[in-house]
Amino acid sequence: MAGRVLIIQFPGVNCEYESLRAVEAVGLKGEIRRWNDAAAAVRDAAAIFLPGGWSYQDRIRAGVVAAKDAVIDEVMDAADRGVPVIGICNGAQVLVETGIVPGFEHGRIDVALAPNKMVGQVGYYCNWVHVKKGPAQCVFTEFMDERPNDPLPIPLAHGEGRFVTANDSVRGHFERGDGVAVVYCTRTGETAAAFPDNPNGAMFAIAGLTNPDGNVLALMPHPERGAWAYQVPRRVGGRWGRSRDGVGTKDLFSPGPGRGFFESLRRALA
Amino acid sequence: MIDPKDLVPVDPSDAGKAKDFLKKNGVSLSSGEYARVCELLGRRPSTVELHMFNVMWSEHCSYKSSRWALKEYLPTDAPHVVLGPGEDAGIIRFCEIAGKSWCLVMAHESHNHPSQVLPVEGAATGIGGIVRDVYCMGADVIGVMDPLRFGDPDGPDASHVRDIALGVVDGIAQYGNALGVPNYGGETYFDASFDDNCLVNVVAFGIVEESGIIRSRVPEEAKNEPYDLILVGKPTDASGFGGAAFASERLDGSSAVEKQGAVQVPDPFVKRVLAEAIRAMLRYTRENNIAIGFKDLGAGGISCAFSEMPEASGFGAVLDLDLVNKAFPDLLPEVISCSETQERFAIAVPARLTDDFLAIFNEQFEMPRLYTGAGAVKVGRVTTDYRFQMTYGGSVVCDAAMDAITAGISYRREQKEQRRANRVGTRARAAGADGIKQAMLHLLGSINISDKAAIYRHYDSEVQGRAVMRPGEADAAVEIFVPGQPFALAAAIGSHSRIGVVDPYAGGAWAVFEAVRNVACVGALPLAITDCLNFGDPEDPAVFNEFVEAVKGVGDACRALTLFGGSHPLPIVSGNVSLYNQSGTGDAIAPTPIVACAGRLDDASRARGFALKQVGSRLVLLGKLHGDLGGSEYERLFGNGGRAGAPRPDFAFELALVKFLNAAFAKRLVLGAHDIALGGLLVTVAEMAIASDPFDIGAELDLRGADDAALFSEMGGVVVEISDDSWDQVRPLLDRHGVAFVEIGRTVDATGLNATTAAGGFEISMGELRTTFKGRLAEVLYG
Repeated sequence: MAGRVLIIQFPGVNCEYESLRAVEAVGLKGEIRRWNDAAAAVRDAAAIFLPGGWSYQDRIRAGVVAAKDAVIDEVMDAADRGVPVIGICNGAQVLVETGIVPGFEHGRIDVALAPNKMVGQVGYYCNWVHVKKGPAQCVFTEFMDERPNDPLPIPLAHGEGRFVTANDSVRGHFERGDGVAVVYCTRTGETAAAFPDNPNGAMFAIAGLTNPDGNVLALMPHPERGAWAYQVPRRVGGRWGRSRDGVGTKDLFSPGPGRGFFESLRRALA
Repeated sequence: MIDPKDLVPVDPSDAGKAKDFLKKNGVSLSSGEYARVCELLGRRPSTVELHMFNVMWSEHCSYKSSRWALKEYLPTDAPHVVLGPGEDAGIIRFCEIAGKSWCLVMAHESHNHPSQVLPVEGAATGIGGIVRDVYCMGADVIGVMDPLRFGDPDGPDASHVRDIALGVVDGIAQYGNALGVPNYGGETYFDASFDDNCLVNVVAFGIVEESGIIRSRVPEEAKNEPYDLILVGKPTDASGFGGAAFASERLDGSSAVEKQGAVQVPDPFVKRVLAEAIRAMLRYTRENNIAIGFKDLGAGGISCAFSEMPEASGFGAVLDLDLVNKAFPDLLPEVISCSETQERFAIAVPARLTDDFLAIFNEQFEMPRLYTGAGAVKVGRVTTDYRFQMTYGGSVVCDAAMDAITAGISYRREQKEQRRANRVGTRARAAGADGIKQAMLHLLGSINISDKAAIYRHYDSEVQGRAVMRPGEADAAVEIFVPGQPFALAAAIGSHSRIGVVDPYAGGAWAVFEAVRNVACVGALPLAITDCLNFGDPEDPAVFNEFVEAVKGVGDACRALTLFGGSHPLPIVSGNVSLYNQSGTGDAIAPTPIVACAGRLDDASRARGFALKQVGSRLVLLGKLHGDLGGSEYERLFGNGGRAGAPRPDFAFELALVKFLNAAFAKRLVLGAHDIALGGLLVTVAEMAIASDPFDIGAELDLRGADDAALFSEMGGVVVEISDDSWDQVRPLLDRHGVAFVEIGRTVDATGLNATTAAGGFEISMGELRTTFKGRLAEVLYG
């Protein structure tokens, strides 16, 4: 396979190394590049990965400063050419601030990631939750082994992860499922109705948004932190929760529930 | 030569005048210490020198009261120790993979006074400071933990206590989350003795290849070629000026507001960028085989870091304070040289390569563009004359022989054995089985025992992707050490403030044993500990006796844990002493030695959490069904009914227990293990049942052989879940290791906890256990 998954290291991001490992775990080649040394590599990349963290210290608003960085012009060109682009957590915040997602109207910023709304908890929140594929197709979910209502345990950690829009037509799109690629759900796969299944109060329980072409994904939870079996806590329940009982050494590094997002990418690129 | 008119204008022979002068200028040195400074220098000090000595001779930096006791009682050596106490962090060999030796770096500090005065900033810079200690060994930081003590959230100072608790949690979260360092958990304990003086201890863990360890000293190569001194990081400002001295003073209400300037200002963003730039720098030095010195700027700022780094290898240094990148133009030289501005490091590099080093920070990572005034600058050079000189505005402001600077100071404080009154609860408990049930539920829901999720969900425990066991899952955090390899780090905290009140020696030993038990309860071999010793005023003989007794307890416990063949003790590789922790009225905090233990699992797949796993297993108490109530949470609520003794450490049992658990986990014979700590036996089993969510496995206990005290005593010991299939192998293993045990019950699916006691039986549903355990921490913190 030609090309690499390019992980862009903006100042303040902090998930670049586990992101690289997750990409490499499915057999893709990955590379981390500093923001000011990435433009040429973006043009050659097979896929682009904006990892989580605190790019530019969340100055002004999470993601907004990085979204105006020169290298993002290249990322947007690549996205327009159909190159797969994934932004996780802070990376999702950056993608939202570029307007690439949901992208119902090219270049318009329609969605914000607002502070979490929770019960008995304020601010930053870190826990494992469940997600499932949403109605919208995207390259990071399309080729997963999971079926549409299979719940996938996944960790998340953010203070501002609530997908919202004030635009009625965008809201209407979401209601019809347009752009909704990943959805928070219960342990048994029903769309999440309230905290803690919906961990931040996101509209329509949206965990990840894609663009109309389905090559870009802005995802708040962290599949790269759940890409190996050893990472899954028992309390997620079900098949994955039991998977830790009585395992041997070799099972530690077998695929975890987050691996599917990267496996889907690999299959899309193959 | 320093211009005589720049010297402090007070003759040391006039003690009264010296005392007034020092106090008026915010210097904590005593008049006697001032006289000693003059004697060492052979003259009066300059203002800059006076402030330097003020920092270096603070309790925080000099250990002047505690040093002898640490040296005398604490074992620090074992075959796997690479670097013991003395530098910024301790280092042990952790595992070997394909011929490469991987090391664990550990550091442990307190940020108590700053957190009391400015909770968010104080706690955040606590994390900021401790991770610097690990980075500067050349390591990556892979985790932090935070043992916390707050006042009574329902006491007379409740709203202040709650503000501090929330601020501290917020500060830890803001810093650690943004830095991308996972929080492994810690512990949180509320007690009125901390009303005016919270404790914020911080522990950091790092990983480094043994060949990549960087020392906090100018390398020997500086004998053969010129070396420059580089300062990198945030621009120097006045924040934290006097910070170390402040940490070593009594905190009284009137000074709290005045002292806010002594608290440093955190910036995890600058640290994160610095960490990546440092990574690039270390790669560059490795690839080109360049020897450097690397040290973090902590207490005493520029003056300490840039004098200690050359001194450690027999060199001297000349610094030009005009070259320092500053946040404001008109800083006084004593502020530039002694302020404790955060996010800074000192580097000694070959002069021929200085420009390359500067470029990594200033060009590759664009630090000056990302933060006004930040970046790397050359501030001086290494000399061979063993003197420390600083100039400012063309004048010499410091010119001292290194021997004078490092001569140090020590005291042999007076001790008097005098135990303080133990506040014993008077709440009445109903009689019989129902009374036991109600007491147990009351404990389970009490603020010190109930669920701490409202705190730890605030921290990122997942970043870096290493987590195998997180807070709430197991007695110790379990983290993959080298990605892709089965070796795992197990890390845990131990400490017990109330036992320390009854018996400081037992409190010291208990802290070690609890931390070690926690690590053993996930199946790991304890390798090393760090300690932070939090006490009151060492000038009070009763308080100082508590300190010395606790240190003896810590040391004896370590010496008892001969886990590495022969008689090698469990080594203490790093630590910190925090004194002068007391209330506004002068009452010392409860004596609180806090221990962090690091252990190793050769295979992370052997780790088990404490959740009950399956129906029909045996529940076995490792230890004995007896005990006193002195210092227990039960005693705090209900009194001790005459069973007032503190748990006496059983050294032989603790060693046998760890060896047994290691052997049993190695054969995968244990389904789960949980150590008996706050609340005692019943609470421990209840926590195991609660943690089984969503599989809902309960416990049926037969405790007819136990008296009431045994159900609530905090004697230590461990509850294990063993399947019937494994029991045939476990039984002889227990005998072989000489571990006393009692079979106490079975796991069931019908209920949460069903217990038969000498006083009768009771049953609690899983739902009630869970609701009770939720407690009210969220309400206390978030209102």
